[in-house]
Amino acid sequence: MLTVVKNQMRVCALSVKYNIMREMVNKVTFLTNVGFMVLNNATFLVQWMILLRMRGDVGGYTMREIMLLWGFMAASFGLSHILFARAFSLSDLIIKGKLDSFLVQPKNVLVSVLTSATDSSAIGDFLYGTALVCACKPGVGGFFLFLLLVVTGTVIFTAFAVLLGSLSFWFVRMDMLQNQIVMGIVSFGTYPDGIFKGASRFFLYFIIPVGMAVWHPVHLMVSFDAGMFFTVAGYACVLLALAVAVFYRGLRRYASGNLMVARL
Amino acid sequence: MQAIRVENLSKTFRVKRKEKGMRGSVKAIFHPQTEEIRAVNGVSFSVAEGEMLAFIGPNGAGKSTTIKMLTGILYPDGGRVEVLGVDPTKKRRQLAYQIGTVFGQKEQLWTHLTPYDNFRFFGAIYDLTERETEARIEELSERFALKEFIDTPVRNLSLGQRIRCEMVAALIHKPKVLFLDEPTIGLDPVVKENVRELIRQMNREEHTTVFLTSHDVGDIEKLCRRIIIVNDGQIVLDDSVEHLKSHYLEHSLEEIIVEIYKAQEED
Repeated sequence: MLTVVKNQMRVCALSVKYNIMREMVNKVTFLTNVGFMVLNNATFLVQWMILLRMRGDVGGYTMREIMLLWGFMAASFGLSHILFARAFSLSDLIIKGKLDSFLVQPKNVLVSVLTSATDSSAIGDFLYGTALVCACKPGVGGFFLFLLLVVTGTVIFTAFAVLLGSLSFWFVRMDMLQNQIVMGIVSFGTYPDGIFKGASRFFLYFIIPVGMAVWHPVHLMVSFDAGMFFTVAGYACVLLALAVAVFYRGLRRYASGNLMVARL
Repeated sequence: MQAIRVENLSKTFRVKRKEKGMRGSVKAIFHPQTEEIRAVNGVSFSVAEGEMLAFIGPNGAGKSTTIKMLTGILYPDGGRVEVLGVDPTKKRRQLAYQIGTVFGQKEQLWTHLTPYDNFRFFGAIYDLTERETEARIEELSERFALKEFIDTPVRNLSLGQRIRCEMVAALIHKPKVLFLDEPTIGLDPVVKENVRELIRQMNREEHTTVFLTSHDVGDIEKLCRRIIIVNDGQIVLDDSVEHLKSHYLEHSLEEIIVEIYKAQEED
């Protein structure tokens, strides 16, 4: 069992390495993608600085919480797009029958698919998010807590994308819905949770998992609560198990395809 | 011993149907219509170890669907499949260690990497040690004459060079059964002949079972002793190439196959 995991990890590491090598083929594009993503994120922070100068806080968030919020959003979303970018285009792979080459390999299909691409601009996201949290001076313990919560956030984002993408085994054009909901996560996840009340708050915590991936981690960095931490970790595990189960259930319905396909 | 055993294999696809134009698109939202297409319908056959079998038929006959069920890509709706004694629907990963696949229309290689880096990646996929991978790359690159371009990115290779690399990637783990789905598609006659010779050599030296689908009669004639023709998801002929030729004297194999396809269409 240990050997199986070790061999799978070896393939995943090679896959991620080759993905990054592919992104670096054109150095100028690669560096521009990374750099402009950092700049793009930074402009939003300037807007928040102006807004918070006009009023002390928004939804209970001061500048420090806003920086943590953007830090978690960028780092978790970035890491999930560096390691598991294919989760966000899974729907397209299923609809166009592009899973064949993964299915003839003696490795875990889902892990092989997820690690088969990377998004170079996500490196900018991850670096920006990490730098932002470091700027909040969280201390050594706080930084390790941040890393741990980035891992749970990455698992939540990836699992949620896999869950949505896997619905393409049953419904056509789920790729559009997948893209819209993922963009919705990014939009909602960059605002303080205090401005959402009632049903919308419940929706954003449990249906679209922004609360578990970003807002709870911000609260945990401000004031650690073991119960809240285990709720986030538990939610990440349950969502991951659900996503894996739905993917493999759907795989039985996979119809492949006869399109000419190249592994680019 | 049998390398492949197939009994009463079936696969049905549900395909959406829509009337013409915008009106049809709107109607399809409220009254979606689907049609069931039986791609494979009760197919049974077996392939002996070390045999080279041509599995052919016109477009849409069910060849690729069958090959995909044998390799574990698709789940059958009915029937039984065993490849090297393993059921692909239950033990896909275990089977994958023992088979190799080359789909002429689908690249498995990473185009930005060199063939050498690709082979190392495939070596890791099949759990080979670095030493085993290096030894196998050395052996296969010699046999497939890859030395000249083994360090050139795949995207810069010619089609013939790429297909040879695809075959090496599929053979890196010494598979016992090789599934070839139109491996010579788009190749010039000289490269086609090279690829066929390599397949023959591999079958002779490593006793590899070859399951070939191709529209090129040359592939069938020069590689296979047995031929299965499928149409509308069913087997319409299972015979030796030699017997087929002796039965239709004065006809080339291509003419015989075309006659069989036409007779099926008329039925």
